[in-house]
Amino acid sequence: MNKLSSGFVGGLIAIMILFNGTLSNAIGNYQSTVIVHLVGLIGIIMILIVGKSKIRFFKSVPLYAYSAGVIGVLPILFNNISFAVLGVSITLALGLLGQSLTSLVVDHYGLFNMTVVKFNKRKLVGLTIIIIGILIMTIY
Amino acid sequence: MVIMAIIVSVLAGVSVVFGRIFNSKMAEKMGLFQGALINYIAGLLVSILLTLVMREYLVFSHEQFMGIPLWAYFGGILGIGIVVLSSYLTHKVSAFYLTLLIFLGQLATGVLIDYFVSGEIPFGKSVGGVLVIAGFLYNLKIDNEENQSEELKNAA
Repeated sequence: MNKLSSGFVGGLIAIMILFNGTLSNAIGNYQSTVIVHLVGLIGIIMILIVGKSKIRFFKSVPLYAYSAGVIGVLPILFNNISFAVLGVSITLALGLLGQSLTSLVVDHYGLFNMTVVKFNKRKLVGLTIIIIGILIMTIY
Repeated sequence: MVIMAIIVSVLAGVSVVFGRIFNSKMAEKMGLFQGALINYIAGLLVSILLTLVMREYLVFSHEQFMGIPLWAYFGGILGIGIVVLSSYLTHKVSAFYLTLLIFLGQLATGVLIDYFVSGEIPFGKSVGGVLVIAGFLYNLKIDNEENQSEELKNAA
């Protein structure tokens, strides 16, 4: 069920990229992110009001965690820089490479208090097949 | 320039994973939607800053908005679902599998969107996607075997 939901998140992302891309083509890369975040912020405030949720700031939240929103905008900037030089597919493939390597390191060392999932060398076979798949997608 | 672009593309991927983990850290302590609220406030401020730095000026003229379909404005709403769901899933699924499953869902939906728009199924994306799924299933099998052998050890 969790695995299915994870795939569903990917589906939402694909649709979001279509929406945001349409907006971005019309009014520019960065102005569109302002609108995207503004609409999202209004939406989340409405959800919190309807759900009568309280907002509490705990000291136990690690300081770095507050930067999630800042970090969330970075890929847009980074991708815009790279699209112009490398094109869309190679940029996205390299981004996926960055995501995969980072996830493997986070899992293996249990960074940020995440559950440790040691890397099993036998998984290199599967990993190689995945990389070939991504290469084919990028080249075609 | 090319090397810089390569580094920056990889960093984009690094920041996606970090952003996901940091969002889940906030959600864990203050609630899924409260965490998303902070995420959007910070994101909005940075977007405004970036717009000014990149000299897009934040001047919205009436003509720019002509012809933009209404649905294009709802990316931010979808984003809430994405942030909330992936914050929840970050502690249920390992970081690598979450990355891979999200990618597969994105790919499958992307292929579908392409099909509806152009009436064609992109060949490379489909073949590549099948290979990614095959590699994923293979590693999943190794995981299951590991779990089973651990259970046997625990039972003995």
